Amino acid sequence: MSHGSIIKVPFGPQHPALKEPENFLFEVDGEIVVDVKPRIGYNHRGIEKAFELRTYIQNIYLAERICGICSDAHTTCYTQAIEELLGVEAPPRARYIRVIIAELERIQSHALWVGIAAHEIGFDTLFMYVWRDRETVLDLFEMISGNRIHYAMNTIGGVRRDIHAAMVSKIKKGLDFLEKRLRYYLNAVQTEQTILKRAAGVGILKPKDAVDLCAVGPTSRASGIKNDVRADDPYAAYDEIPFHVIARDGCDVLTRILVRCEEMLESLEIISYALDRMPEGIVRVKAPVKVPQGEVVSRVEAPRGELIHYAKSNGTTKPERYKVRSPTLGNIPALCKMLLGGYVADIPIVLAGIDPCFACMDRMAFVDVKKNKEWNWTMQQLRRKYAKK
Amino acid sequence: MNLFKWARTKSPWIIHFNTGGCNGCDIELVAALTPRFDLERFGILLEGSPRHADMLAVTGPVTLQVKDRLVRIYEQMPEPKHVIAIGTCAISGAPFKECYNVYGGIDSVLPVDAYVPGCPPKPEAIIDGIAKLIQKIKE
Amino acid sequence: MEKENEIVEKLKNFLKRNLVRTTVPKERRIFVYIKKDALRHAVKYLAKDLKFKHLSTITGVDLGGEIEVIYHLAYKGSIVLSIRVTVSEKNPSVPTITDLIPGAVLYEREVHDLFGVKFEGHPDLSPLLLPEEWPQGVYPLRKEHELEHLREMTSKK
Repeated sequence: MSHGSIIKVPFGPQHPALKEPENFLFEVDGEIVVDVKPRIGYNHRGIEKAFELRTYIQNIYLAERICGICSDAHTTCYTQAIEELLGVEAPPRARYIRVIIAELERIQSHALWVGIAAHEIGFDTLFMYVWRDRETVLDLFEMISGNRIHYAMNTIGGVRRDIHAAMVSKIKKGLDFLEKRLRYYLNAVQTEQTILKRAAGVGILKPKDAVDLCAVGPTSRASGIKNDVRADDPYAAYDEIPFHVIARDGCDVLTRILVRCEEMLESLEIISYALDRMPEGIVRVKAPVKVPQGEVVSRVEAPRGELIHYAKSNGTTKPERYKVRSPTLGNIPALCKMLLGGYVADIPIVLAGIDPCFACMDRMAFVDVKKNKEWNWTMQQLRRKYAKK
Repeated sequence: MNLFKWARTKSPWIIHFNTGGCNGCDIELVAALTPRFDLERFGILLEGSPRHADMLAVTGPVTLQVKDRLVRIYEQMPEPKHVIAIGTCAISGAPFKECYNVYGGIDSVLPVDAYVPGCPPKPEAIIDGIAKLIQKIKE
Repeated sequence: MEKENEIVEKLKNFLKRNLVRTTVPKERRIFVYIKKDALRHAVKYLAKDLKFKHLSTITGVDLGGEIEVIYHLAYKGSIVLSIRVTVSEKNPSVPTITDLIPGAVLYEREVHDLFGVKFEGHPDLSPLLLPEEWPQGVYPLRKEHELEHLREMTSKK
């Protein structure tokens, strides 16, 4: 960034001397984005250090709260890691339950996101419909686990609650309802002019870039890269359950929407299969509290993509080191690539397209390289400015 | 009764701010807007600008980066203004108390008028908390 | 574990004395410890020749006196090979791999923020996660920093 004198143009009431935590710095030339620099400290809490100060059991509840939308992905990844270090295996029934909960979470997360994406596009009716239908999944979670969010199903050695026969019919009813709704949304997304206009051809990520920039999840699968941890590096009961990895090669935001809609439908199939073939037996085994020395790499396919945990144990009740790399971080370099050369007006929908944790993506700073202007916008301000377009 | 007070207690405009939480409380707050819970039928609106807001609904345990912005948003709100802390993090920072980048609890930074416990609290609990705060204002 | 062992053999032949140790604890997991000077050599071979194109993340570990930098690479999303080097705490620096694997760009910044490891040749090692006011030279994930100590420092802000 090289300029003569920079004139700060404060947008909205803010003290010019106070620095604000931006998450992206955009260099723009008129309406075109010429450079993107990420700085994502907004949500940094210091969780990895906290892991070292808590016992392995306490850490289940910390892992859960890394993210409220994919909390089960984190606890699955975590408990798997510790089980491997302990040489303990979750019983077969528990592994099936883990799949069911993980896929319900995938539906919940993708549905939430479709609503948010619709809202970004200005399609609030769709947002309301999808979130209403998403409540069906949350009701199922509440029935199974006692909570709509942070279901705390996973523990070291298995799962904490069983899915009883009485619940199965209710779950299946929920799945039937969801299938009808999801098919409706899949169709709407491919035919609604509002969506097509705003999302088709926008935020292009070429397959080579998706690979070089190590993109993950639906973002990379929408560029034709057929990677999915459930298929490539199976965990829980995924090695026993046949399913399709959804990949399309449209490479744009519209394709990302389509991939997620189809994944939701695929998740319904997986849950149904798992419910029908769930083995009998216990759902958890006892696990020691002290974990012998060792290290392990654990991965799951969270709704947003590959989630990877690295754990190192030292023979005590607390981890030596616990590393978490969330899928959103994995997609930020790809996101920057998608935004380059694009319109400022498209920033919100392209950002939304990778399905980021929305707290991380709220604040943006802008620099106009030709006019030597700097300003800050929130997502809402940006949306409002370009609402008519 | 003061007309201004009546108008405010009839339909508070709420600005929502996340100070670094896991988003669990935020999505339950947004869910409160959806048809099933329908916050808007109480006349409650989620507003974008602090300048027009009566209530600040805060979630999260307050990360270091976000503290100044939180305070600034509060300062931009016109009097009389109220703060509602939603979720365990906002109340005490509890799950993140061993995290170095977190203040822990909104009331370490701002005066709080109402607390809605839960991790996350259900939309019904959030609406209940807001309704109780409105009651308190009426009195 | 045929494929895994095949990969280990190829690495042994390529790196020779620069390969210090390997373990294959289970299928789809390989752990490799190499000499720091061979890092770029090894990563280039893994990424270009052995098709370990996907970098999942880079982990830093404080061993006490030394810092370990582990690169987690994946083959077809399937086999995860964690390749590590150690650097001294006094002068922790490794060459960047962002020209070989552009996706490494933020992972190197993260390890720099939290452990103080310098990635020579990285285009922009500015802070990624830590706040602007964070005290210079304080790398929070190093074992020397206890929580109360970190909190004291940041509460002075």
